[in-house]
Amino acid sequence: MSAPRASDELLALAEDLVRFARRAGADEVEVGIGEGTEFSVDVRLGEIENLVQAGSRSLGLRLIKDKKTAYATSSDLARGTLEDLIRRAVQRTELAQADACAGLPEPTGPVPDSAGLDLYDPAVLALPAEAKIKAAKEAELMALADPRIVNSHGASFSTHEGRSILANSNGFLGQYAKTYASLSLSLQAGETDDLVEDFWFSSGVRLADLETPEALARTAVARTVRHLHPRKLETGRLPVVFEPLAASGILGFLFSCVSGMAVYQRASFLADKLGQSVGNGLVTVIDDGLLPGRLGSSPFDSEGVPTRKTVVLDRGILRSFLCNAYAARKLGLAATGNADGGGVGPNNFYLAPGPDSAEDVIRSCDRGLLVVRTLGHGLNPVNGDISQGVFGLFIEGGEIAHPVSEVTISGNLGELLRNVERVGRDLEFRGSVSSPTVKIAELQVAGLEKS
Amino acid sequence: MKLPFEDHFGLGPGELRRVLDASLARGGDFAEIFLEYRLYHFVLMEEDIIKETSESVSLGLGIRVCQGEKTGYGFTNDLSAEKILQTAASAAAIAEAGPAGKTADWGSNGLPPPDVYLVREPAHESDLAAKIALVQEAYAACQAASPAVKKVKSALQDQVQYLTVANSEGRFVSDVRPLLKLTCVAIAEKGEVREYGFSGSGGRVGLEHFRDVLTPRAVGADAAREALLLLEARDAPAGEMPVVLSPGHAGVLIHEAVGHLVEADFNRKRTSVFWNKMGERVGSSLVTIYDDPTIPGSRGSYAVDDEGTVPGKTALVDRGILVGLLQDKLSARLMGRTPTGHGRRQDYTDFPIPRMANTFIAAGEDDPADIIRSVQKGLYADRFTGGQVEDSGKFTFSVSSGYLIEGGRLTAPVKQATLIGTNIDILQKVDRVGSDLAFGQQTGTCGKEGQDVPVTDGCPTLRISGMTVGGRE
Repeated sequence: MSAPRASDELLALAEDLVRFARRAGADEVEVGIGEGTEFSVDVRLGEIENLVQAGSRSLGLRLIKDKKTAYATSSDLARGTLEDLIRRAVQRTELAQADACAGLPEPTGPVPDSAGLDLYDPAVLALPAEAKIKAAKEAELMALADPRIVNSHGASFSTHEGRSILANSNGFLGQYAKTYASLSLSLQAGETDDLVEDFWFSSGVRLADLETPEALARTAVARTVRHLHPRKLETGRLPVVFEPLAASGILGFLFSCVSGMAVYQRASFLADKLGQSVGNGLVTVIDDGLLPGRLGSSPFDSEGVPTRKTVVLDRGILRSFLCNAYAARKLGLAATGNADGGGVGPNNFYLAPGPDSAEDVIRSCDRGLLVVRTLGHGLNPVNGDISQGVFGLFIEGGEIAHPVSEVTISGNLGELLRNVERVGRDLEFRGSVSSPTVKIAELQVAGLEKS
Repeated sequence: MKLPFEDHFGLGPGELRRVLDASLARGGDFAEIFLEYRLYHFVLMEEDIIKETSESVSLGLGIRVCQGEKTGYGFTNDLSAEKILQTAASAAAIAEAGPAGKTADWGSNGLPPPDVYLVREPAHESDLAAKIALVQEAYAACQAASPAVKKVKSALQDQVQYLTVANSEGRFVSDVRPLLKLTCVAIAEKGEVREYGFSGSGGRVGLEHFRDVLTPRAVGADAAREALLLLEARDAPAGEMPVVLSPGHAGVLIHEAVGHLVEADFNRKRTSVFWNKMGERVGSSLVTIYDDPTIPGSRGSYAVDDEGTVPGKTALVDRGILVGLLQDKLSARLMGRTPTGHGRRQDYTDFPIPRMANTFIAAGEDDPADIIRSVQKGLYADRFTGGQVEDSGKFTFSVSSGYLIEGGRLTAPVKQATLIGTNIDILQKVDRVGSDLAFGQQTGTCGKEGQDVPVTDGCPTLRISGMTVGGRE
């Protein structure tokens, strides 16, 4: 079944506003409209806690006059409000300064549509609220049946379906529809003063992408109880294995360092490194907006540039920065279909999988730290430095020995990329940034003083 | 009284009452409608030019129905009568069929006294040119600090939020909240070394703040100072050691270690490590903590919270004893307590939950210089980039710059490090508290369950006898 199209009324509004802004004095105009409906239910201890149902619309504008840019957004789609916003935006361009790189992307031929991308699953909208509530309740109750689980933050089932419309003064008029569904569960185990917690989630474009409540509960319980009775670690240097979720966090940090915006602002430690080796041969990183049925896919980005597959790191060599039209002009590179609002965002940004199973990666450590979750904000793209709290498990003789707590890891992303020792084959796409299991040969781990 | 933004909704008190009655048509203990109109402006200077300006209009309403522990919520920015009633029906879906409720007579009405907002020159009514001048001043001061400053980014954000809360208990109240923020980022380079510095200022204030309290020039110079300092900094130490926290900025420790865990929802649900410790010792006797949403001009302040409660200064920890929680209406009702005015929401698309406003540890009696002198070997944590906590009390906060303490003196500057601990353990280890209570930069935002709200936190100089520092040396 094909995805529903945006209403003619909204398409006409987008085109109309482009014409209105041109008449108001703008040289170039871009109008984006999003509309959608959302549903979410949180259940906790077997009862519904929150139930949210809503529909919303929003509109974003970019105007350029004499190479000077002004933006506006509105959740009020009343014609009078929007015309006032456009008139004021045209006036504001006078107060900005000319920027040779400002402007819409160059037209790139026919407007791509989402045919073949499989981004819309009618089953997401069709599933009755009762069935979503039931799935969340089932997942939580199965987890609570485990005697080690003492409390629950609850289970949630969320869905979203919506349409994106983009029109600009170069004649672009495109639209696509997308669905999203997720089921998540967050648990506590242990005694009151020695609680541990963790969660698990499943998400996708299609309802069928979701794990069953039972599988979700099983994983969430296992992830939670393995933190019970943690010990502290001695400060020192250790091999560190990142589970996929934790590795995805590091990969998201790499994304912020290869964003063309950060590069031209010199806010990335990789700014001068294009074409150079910045990682070892195990590191191939790809951004792909065209993977069918993936959450990060779309036919075109927020400026109407068609998405594509971009090899960012090829066996350690930095091949591409990810650019919107502005960053591309600044850097003399090509736009990569990564425009996101006024900035740059990932499509499906992932580390290419390697040959090993996660078990093999863990078995390769005599002594090591398995990082399952990180806590804190210590990621600095300007110099690549990493310093984060971690929840993890100590590995001894290739086996999981015990959980650890109050431990930090620190290092530098450049050092990590050069010291990748193994890459797992367990790549799964749970969001727009994804990674398989990764082993780093050695990182600084801080905990207790050496006794 | 005519509300300042009634025209945007076309909903007078009579219509609001009909919507609330419709929300209670299936039963339910409580219904509420939250109307919001927000204007936001942004000016960005980068690469020596005013690169972009932006304006945003946010207009919409949210309807909440509560029954027992259940909350139904709907929101819309399509303000047709049909959509509003559909939103009411969505919120009402939570209620088990029961007798229809009825909205009480409106008790209070209109605007509370806006003592908490210090505004003589409202930013949203000011010329864009005046705001551009502030951004340029910060930018120029930052750039002029040193030739090593290679990139500067300076931005001004201002907003005004008009809101009305009307509920079935007869509460009907409005608020007009200003918010202003100037930020400056510096990137400095020396050979292969590249570092980042940040500074900012603002609050619930008008543009006169940047003339009378803290100039854009000072903000720009401070961002450059941090970036230049970090060019000379070495890696932070790794391991457990005494840590001295700088006054003001280190309030993030209290935010993470205590603030989130005294939010009433986590205690009602017994997920917070504090849930069974009311009246018990959770920290050293030097630790007294408050949250006060009424500090004039402060970024976290408000005249009423997002469910219409007038807030007050709330004692959370008194000389080490847990004495209070941050309550919203739902948790207060379910726990048999009084709301403290800490029910906040990001915007009309969210229902309110218990949140912090301006959280701080009260001043002690120690001379700050003595506290530094008391440490033979440790870390002085000066500036921070944020923190995170989970309900078990495990928390981190990230130091962006600091100094080594050696022989009772600040010596070498050190770079980014994450500090990690368990809250009750760390609170017991607070063994010196300075007399120099200060607040951080008035730029902070706190995230919880996907909702961001402006907050501040404060503290005097503090010593923690031992904490794990995640540096590299």
